[in-house]
Amino acid sequence: MKISTREKNDILIFDIEGEIRRSDITDITLHQLVKDQLDTGKRNILLNFQNVEFIDSFGVGEILASYISTHNLGGKLKIAKISKKLYLVFQVTMLTKVFEIFDEEDLALDSFFKG
Amino acid sequence: MAKNRLHSFLSHIVDIKPGEEIISLLLFFYFFLITAPFTIIKSIREAAFLENLSPKYLPYAYATALVVAIVVAFHSKLQIKIRRHLLISSSLFFFILTALFFWFLFPSGEKANTKWLLVAFWMWANLFVVVLVTQFWILVNDVFNPREAKRLIGFFGSGGILGGIFGGLTTTILAKLNVSNKSLLLIASGILFLCVFGVNYIFVWQRKRQILSVEETRIYTSVGKEPQKVGFKDCFDTVRKDYYLKLLAAVVIVTGIVSIFIDWQSKSIVYEANPFGGKLTIFFGLFNTGSLIFAFLFQFFMTSKIIKRYGIRFALLLYPLILFLLSLGIAIWPILAFAVTIKASDKSLSFSINQSARELLYIPVSPDIKYKAKIFIDMFLNRFADSLGALILVIVFFFYFSIQILIPIVSFVSVLFILGWVVLNLKVSKEYTNTVKQKLEMKWERGDRAVAEKMDIDYTKLVFDTLESKNRSSILYAMHLFDLIKQDKLTPELRKLISYKSDEMKVSSLGALFESQDTTLFPETEDFIDDKALEKDVKEIMSLDVYQELMRGYFDKTITDESKEAVTARMELAKAIGLMESHSPLVQKLEELLQDESPEVSKYAIESAANLRKKEYIPALVRKLQNPLTREDAISALEKYGQKIEGTLADYLGDTEENSELRKAVTSILAYIGTQDAADFLCWELAEDRGDMDSELIDALDRIRSEKPVVQFPEEAVKSKIFKEIKKHYQIFIQLYESSSESKNESRRKALERNLTFSLMNIFKLLGVVYPHEDIARAYQNIRAGTKNSVAYAVELLDNILHKEMRDILLPIIEDISLEERVQRCQSLLKSSPIFKETA
Repeated sequence: MKISTREKNDILIFDIEGEIRRSDITDITLHQLVKDQLDTGKRNILLNFQNVEFIDSFGVGEILASYISTHNLGGKLKIAKISKKLYLVFQVTMLTKVFEIFDEEDLALDSFFKG
Repeated sequence: MAKNRLHSFLSHIVDIKPGEEIISLLLFFYFFLITAPFTIIKSIREAAFLENLSPKYLPYAYATALVVAIVVAFHSKLQIKIRRHLLISSSLFFFILTALFFWFLFPSGEKANTKWLLVAFWMWANLFVVVLVTQFWILVNDVFNPREAKRLIGFFGSGGILGGIFGGLTTTILAKLNVSNKSLLLIASGILFLCVFGVNYIFVWQRKRQILSVEETRIYTSVGKEPQKVGFKDCFDTVRKDYYLKLLAAVVIVTGIVSIFIDWQSKSIVYEANPFGGKLTIFFGLFNTGSLIFAFLFQFFMTSKIIKRYGIRFALLLYPLILFLLSLGIAIWPILAFAVTIKASDKSLSFSINQSARELLYIPVSPDIKYKAKIFIDMFLNRFADSLGALILVIVFFFYFSIQILIPIVSFVSVLFILGWVVLNLKVSKEYTNTVKQKLEMKWERGDRAVAEKMDIDYTKLVFDTLESKNRSSILYAMHLFDLIKQDKLTPELRKLISYKSDEMKVSSLGALFESQDTTLFPETEDFIDDKALEKDVKEIMSLDVYQELMRGYFDKTITDESKEAVTARMELAKAIGLMESHSPLVQKLEELLQDESPEVSKYAIESAANLRKKEYIPALVRKLQNPLTREDAISALEKYGQKIEGTLADYLGDTEENSELRKAVTSILAYIGTQDAADFLCWELAEDRGDMDSELIDALDRIRSEKPVVQFPEEAVKSKIFKEIKKHYQIFIQLYESSSESKNESRRKALERNLTFSLMNIFKLLGVVYPHEDIARAYQNIRAGTKNSVAYAVELLDNILHKEMRDILLPIIEDISLEERVQRCQSLLKSSPIFKETA
């Protein structure tokens, strides 16, 4: 798994590539990366899943922990460009109730400013 | 430049902010120019009445307030058709012209006034004050929010009192110079005429201001708004439907009744004493001046301090309690000095602290409701209360005829009403806090709670594990399906999901039960799978000695195998052990799998340990807290052990030699367990003041407090920690302020800013532990992410729910004050506050 970050209009975007799974983590976890950014004062975070093929239960835990940490500081964490298959899994497991998920990055970015 | 000078000058007198100078001065003089003529008119009215009639006629004069109330009701209908600017201006003109009309009717020289003229003049003076003063306060209420009003209300009130003093002195001096009441009335109408210009300038200035600053609409636009279209019934219904407004109305009625009793008592004693050889205009002029000077001094030096220092509740109780004591006093000692004291106290406290506190009570009410309520309460009910007081007096007079006997009787009736007034004020102050609270929306709840309310995390992880195992191991896949069946969670939707591209899979054993040759995974399962029977079968097989024996051999072989495939085999074994009975021999082997280097094997071993919950697994599970890859699973497993491992966890928590990530995870588990013991352990650790884990410990306490309201926390210890956190916040803030001038220290400045943010969060989480949790959360969230107005309401809420010692040190860091002032206050409190000296 590779994670790179970029910023647009004060929104931090995490471009994730590969699979978010226990066996693929090397040095730092997604949650730790999110926490580091929260520490610097960032509060709006978008996870770009365009290149995410699959996540395992560890990955789910990471995303949820990131959401909780962001939410506890009054911030927002959203997801964009998730694959259809993964979206289906998110729906069945009701993760769609927790996360705001967008087809397009621009729509996701706009949503941060619509309250 | 001129503005700066004005600000500099006014800031010596009042806590004023840039931009507020002109509007504040205008309102100050507006009130001055209303009360000055009113005091002249009042002195003439009272002197003329007592010079011509006996006090036994006073209740009839008081009763004319009912007529005033009815006129006011009609007046409120007028407001439907007239804009506010026009309404205020035309009201002023109306009173100027009617004053001239009375001047025309008043007899010249020593001629006695007729009864009807005295009563009509009394009634007109009441109408004068009720309409003009109410219009003034409506304007103030619209213009400022609670925090601004709290700062400035004393200043405006002083304007009114100074106007009264001016009016009283003018009356006394001119009456001594034998200027007649008739001429004094002409002077009063002249002063009121000046007010027309002042009011006009306020609206012109506001309109200019609106054009210049769209951003500052909150403060300035409401003045220029179109008036609301409200009728008297609408105003009455607004109050009738709102519990808080009904309480305010009740307070106004009781206050009015008590004031009437006091007025009658004092006037009766004055009538009997007949001071200044019967020249009562001089007496009332002097009296009004003296009592207003006292009111002014009280307002100027005491009101704001009392409200700020002791809060609105104390401010509301002070007035009735003083009258309570004086009413008892006058019953025993009905002499002129006492009559002057009680009437002066009533008048001064009513003008100063009571008026200010009452206006503050209206601030959290939304402007449209407030507008209607004020029309009904201040303009109608206030007068109605006077009439009610008059009616009670008439009833009392029916039984007793001598004034000397009536005075103590009226005192005792007063005392009864004052007791009711105190109870009502207590209720009002409680409701005030609730009303402020309603102004603050909860912007977010704890993330963990938000997630837990919306989804089942364990189920979600199981679904992901099932899908993940589909391509990896048919055995794991089958065991996951078995888990889902056991938990009755293999829903049709999930079946469809799992069957997605199922042809990729080649399943065997249990998984084969669910797979068909086609693309559908579960074609006929519903017909022949009995969940309970399946579970029983699996358990029976796993309990067989021969199975255990066979699997033991397989385990030994697998555990020593270092090949890549063996990892999957160990994952399967780890998962399988979790399905066994806790007394099965193989269960003992789980510890070895818990030590496995592969995080994937560890994950299944941890999950099985959570199912079996054997105490020998605990040390291994705790170790797993150190590794970010296994931490969340280990936390989840240890949480399932529940309160039986609290003591063990507390040992790890208190051991400073332990890995810090491990100890942080332990705080999270204790927070999840959330029992009284767990809270105690966390508090003890926090009291150790080691500092390294403060944020985690405070967050854990916050979580317990939000989810388990019955858990008790050691208040003194938590408060002591809050004091330390606030002190730390002060220090960081001062450092940040000092570093802001050093441009090269950007990274240090950012670090300080971050520390400041987290320190404030910790302070509020701790406050939520000892004060109402939801109120504190609301206040914090609005301070962090609210508008200027909601920040003001948040501070107001804190001002009302925190204890004084806490308020005094917390408000300087959250109030809307300049950076320099904040630094100054922090520095001064760090040096002088005994709280910080103790925490040092």
